[in-house]
Amino acid sequence: MISLYRTGTLLAVLALVALPGASSAQHEMHGMTMGGGWRMVPMDMSMPMLPGIDGAVPVVGPFMPGMGMDPAMLPEARPSEVVQLADMDTLDISVSMVRRTISGQEMIMFGYNGQYPGPLIQVPKDATIMVRVTNEIQMPTTIHWHGVRIDNRFDGVPGVTQDPIERGESFTYEVNVPDAGMYWYHPHVREDVQQDLGLFGNLLVTSPDPDYYGPAHREEVFVLDDILMDEQGALPWGDESPTHALMGRFGNVMMVNGETDYRLHAKRGEVVRFYLTNVANSRTFNVTFGGAKVKVVASDVSRFEREQWVGSVVIAPAERYVVDVRFDRPGEILIANTVQAINHFRGEFYPQVDTLSIVTVSDEAAEPDVSAAFDTLREHDDVVADIEAFRPHFGRNPDHELVTTVKVQGLHQSIVLSMEADTLYVPPMEWNDAMPMMNWLSTAEEVTWILEDVATGAQNGDIDWEFKVGDVVKIRVHNTPDSFHPMNHPIHVHGQRFLVLSIDGVENQNLVWKDTAIVPVGSTMDMLVEMSNPGEWMIHCHIAEHLHAGMMFGFTVTPPAP
Amino acid sequence: MIPFLALFAALGASVLSEAEAGTILPYSSAAACTDGPAYYAFELVSTKNIPGTGLATGTVEASVTAASPFSVHLSADGSYAYELHVTLDRMRVPGEGQLVAWVTTPDIDQIVRMSALDEHLQATGQVDWNKYIVVITLEPSDDPGQEIWTGPIVMRGMSRSGMMHTMVGHGALQQENCAAFGYGN
Repeated sequence: MISLYRTGTLLAVLALVALPGASSAQHEMHGMTMGGGWRMVPMDMSMPMLPGIDGAVPVVGPFMPGMGMDPAMLPEARPSEVVQLADMDTLDISVSMVRRTISGQEMIMFGYNGQYPGPLIQVPKDATIMVRVTNEIQMPTTIHWHGVRIDNRFDGVPGVTQDPIERGESFTYEVNVPDAGMYWYHPHVREDVQQDLGLFGNLLVTSPDPDYYGPAHREEVFVLDDILMDEQGALPWGDESPTHALMGRFGNVMMVNGETDYRLHAKRGEVVRFYLTNVANSRTFNVTFGGAKVKVVASDVSRFEREQWVGSVVIAPAERYVVDVRFDRPGEILIANTVQAINHFRGEFYPQVDTLSIVTVSDEAAEPDVSAAFDTLREHDDVVADIEAFRPHFGRNPDHELVTTVKVQGLHQSIVLSMEADTLYVPPMEWNDAMPMMNWLSTAEEVTWILEDVATGAQNGDIDWEFKVGDVVKIRVHNTPDSFHPMNHPIHVHGQRFLVLSIDGVENQNLVWKDTAIVPVGSTMDMLVEMSNPGEWMIHCHIAEHLHAGMMFGFTVTPPAP
Repeated sequence: MIPFLALFAALGASVLSEAEAGTILPYSSAAACTDGPAYYAFELVSTKNIPGTGLATGTVEASVTAASPFSVHLSADGSYAYELHVTLDRMRVPGEGQLVAWVTTPDIDQIVRMSALDEHLQATGQVDWNKYIVVITLEPSDDPGQEIWTGPIVMRGMSRSGMMHTMVGHGALQQENCAAFGYGN
């Protein structure tokens, strides 16, 4: 009886979807105020609306920062500024509302020190800086120093390492930076809202070795982001819990360093070092450089064992990559997000190229000529030697195995039926929001993303792993394709560093220390974690909506006996 | 143990009660972690055109993870760069000719020769299309320069991504006349 009902409903769904007039009429709801103050999520006109969800809104209420305020009352945000700090220096950061204009829409967002992104903090390796954070927004907040093997007390996880910083309160972080590279900082309270609204910044830890990277004419920081907007500005976020819980909140406007038209100028033959950071809630970027020659040099917590030529840079939320790019040809070079998106309804892939930045390359030759050095792929002997000590652990069986999956409850029947019917194939990666209405309507009230310990069956917060400083732990993560909605997950480990040893049994031949790595659908990733840093830490998916839909757990690293 | 519920509440997420009506349960952990890109593997089906292949089976494993510093390997246009591994079984090797594996697009407007099958009836190759068909043909000889097959098709199968062409994506929503392309009625 149940199956008949479900089959009948599905047929009705399909029949109604097929009505061309119905789909266009439904799309006319774009921009209209719906129930509870929501606006319908932007949706491709060629994508039909599932019947039954016409007019539906998320079960949570909408949240907009500074609701009812006149943006003109707020200071206009300014581009990120570089702050160079020395050991024991102090930086004050205020978390406040700012006025931003994106794609012609003026709106209220958040900012660190009124900047977008937040200040680019530059510190020498092994320094310790004090960062005094004062919260002036209406939500509690914290700052997580992503990727830094920091003193646990300052990891910024509310309820674990600190109480959230309430409005009007301050908290001082002591940030020690033992590893050179590019890191970033962001809230660990409702990341789906606060991070999306502009609370992020980079922390560049410089090496004392002047030859740490190869020669480049200059360096550029690229903070990659997207934001979901319509003709009235940003779409509201979920108040009590996140919307877009199934796929995460994909934006439809791409930004570099908070700007939609970020432009650079270069000379012919100029080598530019790009520090890429992905701060988007859910989107993995595939960054292409218009055919320019690109070599990947470093990632989250170290350089690669060997520099490597790449055609593009696949960068998941929270990951960082350092790439050197040489612009050989005069003219305009498009730095773009180049993907094959999916139209689920038509069962098709289609090319989608979004310009992130335009580089105007002049005919004037760059001086000095660093081509010879650029054309040479360097091997980083110190990185190889560092990793060598861990090789005896590579071949052993995993100490822990995790499976990723999802549980849904109470989702609209049309969404459930459509998902079950149309998920015979799920791509390794979701490059676009192929089901914007369904995704928007799914909230963390109805969707629970799960990391499950295979050995014990414990899920998310019930997982209780304990290690000692000095342990080297092999963790296998399997992203099962057999759940209600499989999706790629960028897995982030707090406070430690790890190596991705293999994916799907294919050994990684060019290792790099990471703090975040993506597991494609159906894939199995073996990671080797060096438990070097005592404290109570988190492992979680860094798709903000997945994190806040439960996909996290804690582990403890106990210090050595005195 | 970390006070998880406190953290969960602080993060603003909801705590769901267990096993309520309407819950769609997740994949069971009873299924152990597996190595290999099993999910994207697909079957090859015999045309039964060649003697000794009536009961033949075939599998293509497709991995997107090799030879990349990233978790997935992509081509310049963002398509997945698949490493393919073909294995045939339960068939009698033809007495004459050479079994060769090919990859073609669903429209068969582009064809790439993978390689000849070895004595274990296996072949490997690469493709950077998101939807594709693997075709095994019986060619007169092993000619690496051959650009298109000339012999009869022995087996064929479509990449798992072909399953996107479901009843939801097919038919009423399809602008083309799908029947003209051999799909459905």
